[in-house]
Amino acid sequence: MNAVVTVARKEVRDALNSTWLLLYAVMFTALALGLSYLGERNLGSLGFENFSRTTASLLNLCLLLAPLVALALSSGAIAGERDRGTLTFLLAQPLERWELLLGKYAGLAASIGLATAAGFGVAGSLIALQSSAMDAGTYILFLGLVLALIVVMTGLGLVVSVVSESRVQALGMAMLIWFVAAFFFDLVLIGMVSTTSLGGGGLLLALLANPIEIVRVLAIIRLEPDLQILGPFGSYLMERVGTTGATVILSTALLAWIAVPVGIAAWLFEARED
Amino acid sequence: MNAMPDDKPRPMLRVQSLQRSYGKRVVLRDVTFDAAAGSVIALLGSNGAGKTTALKCILGVISFGGEIEVDGCSVKKDGKEARKRIGYVPQLPALAEGDTCQQALEFIADLKGAPRAGITPALELVNLAQERDARIGQLSGGMRQRLAVAAAVLGGPPVLLLDEPTASLDIDSKREFQQLILRLRDEGKTIILSTHFFEHLEELADRVLILHDGRVAFDGTTDDLAATSRSKRLVVNLNGHSPSETAAVLERAGIDRSRIQPVAMGWEDIVLATQQTEEDAQ
Repeated sequence: MNAVVTVARKEVRDALNSTWLLLYAVMFTALALGLSYLGERNLGSLGFENFSRTTASLLNLCLLLAPLVALALSSGAIAGERDRGTLTFLLAQPLERWELLLGKYAGLAASIGLATAAGFGVAGSLIALQSSAMDAGTYILFLGLVLALIVVMTGLGLVVSVVSESRVQALGMAMLIWFVAAFFFDLVLIGMVSTTSLGGGGLLLALLANPIEIVRVLAIIRLEPDLQILGPFGSYLMERVGTTGATVILSTALLAWIAVPVGIAAWLFEARED
Repeated sequence: MNAMPDDKPRPMLRVQSLQRSYGKRVVLRDVTFDAAAGSVIALLGSNGAGKTTALKCILGVISFGGEIEVDGCSVKKDGKEARKRIGYVPQLPALAEGDTCQQALEFIADLKGAPRAGITPALELVNLAQERDARIGQLSGGMRQRLAVAAAVLGGPPVLLLDEPTASLDIDSKREFQQLILRLRDEGKTIILSTHFFEHLEELADRVLILHDGRVAFDGTTDDLAATSRSKRLVVNLNGHSPSETAAVLERAGIDRSRIQPVAMGWEDIVLATQQTEEDAQ
């Protein structure tokens, strides 16, 4: 396990020195503050919005930006080493393949999570100073959900990184996954719901097949369980099993999305011969 | 050192019937050799001969047929334990350019579970103590390869695998690196040196192993290698005779013209001649 910690520490150190992560943190903070400020202006009130409204505004931003950064950075974890010809050197050290993979996974997820939390923290503190109506608990819960989504996407990025022959190929595949999960998936499924008789089971499976959708529905359930906002998948779930049932099902699915990709990545990496 | 029942010292590295293929392409066929403690073996052969693949097998990075033991530890059964006994220097520098020498060596020491106290002696060994806080990206190619050696010796592994470490170096750096190899040999390291370059071969290597087409084409000392080649070649002192006239006489005696060449015999020629002999034999 020492090797895992060593590799993870190195990943965090490299990430903290990386311009990409810094840019992400700055951009994230700026957008969070901007969204809140614009929301306030639209309502014609003074100061920033309260936490709940800001959190709702942040939802779409997070569901786009966090998976994008997690997939992009983690897709280079193994493929980048392979590209630079340094993978054999790392594997020549006394560590197992799974230890290298797990170390990179933990280090990357921690780095991206840290940058996101920093962005959230700065934005949250500024909003708290301006706002009278506080809902810090919801804000923190939402941050937890976004961090979980980052962990999921880091795992998916690792799978891509393990199977790709080059950094460019890995990045291409990662962007495809992001596009499908963030945009294409919703469009196609909404189309299917309206044109075919997708049953209840089908709706549930469709929801659970997309981690971004899981986090979106979970967040809305906790924020404001409005059937209009929840969409067809979330509405179906809420009607059938209620808030608690839906939370349990979606949280379990999210945990599975965390564990399964990294397990697959480790298995594939063991089988590879670099 | 442990001894076998017949009191023969156990080899530090034992490679037995090593086989490896990539798809249908056989890269290593029944390669067998061993290395005594404190010896330097030069692993020679042209590109694609299987040198790097053999080193990857010894490291347990890729799967293989046969058996490999490093200091009595089976690479197949416990690759991680075997790798603790090996220091590896790749052909191209592999340490992160953004790190300082100290940071890079701390990372490798931690990976090996070796004490960080070993970093200073390792830097001194490779004459890089002054560059401890320099970024690796600012070092010359020769310095980076010496730093790779410092990383390799952390934790005191008895075996060092050097994969064409001087391939990208200029002549001065190459010579400096060769001196470093001699220092490591004097410290008792068992060194497997994969290389294309044959300058100072007799000075560096106790034994030469030539891989050709995935097989061991030659295994012996540099003297053995030179003797093998001498028995197949005749060096004629022309003593004023015209080379073309001499060649014509030899041709009339049935020797093919293409086999008569004015060649200064360096190690490279000798090794290539040995490979040719192996091909002829097949």
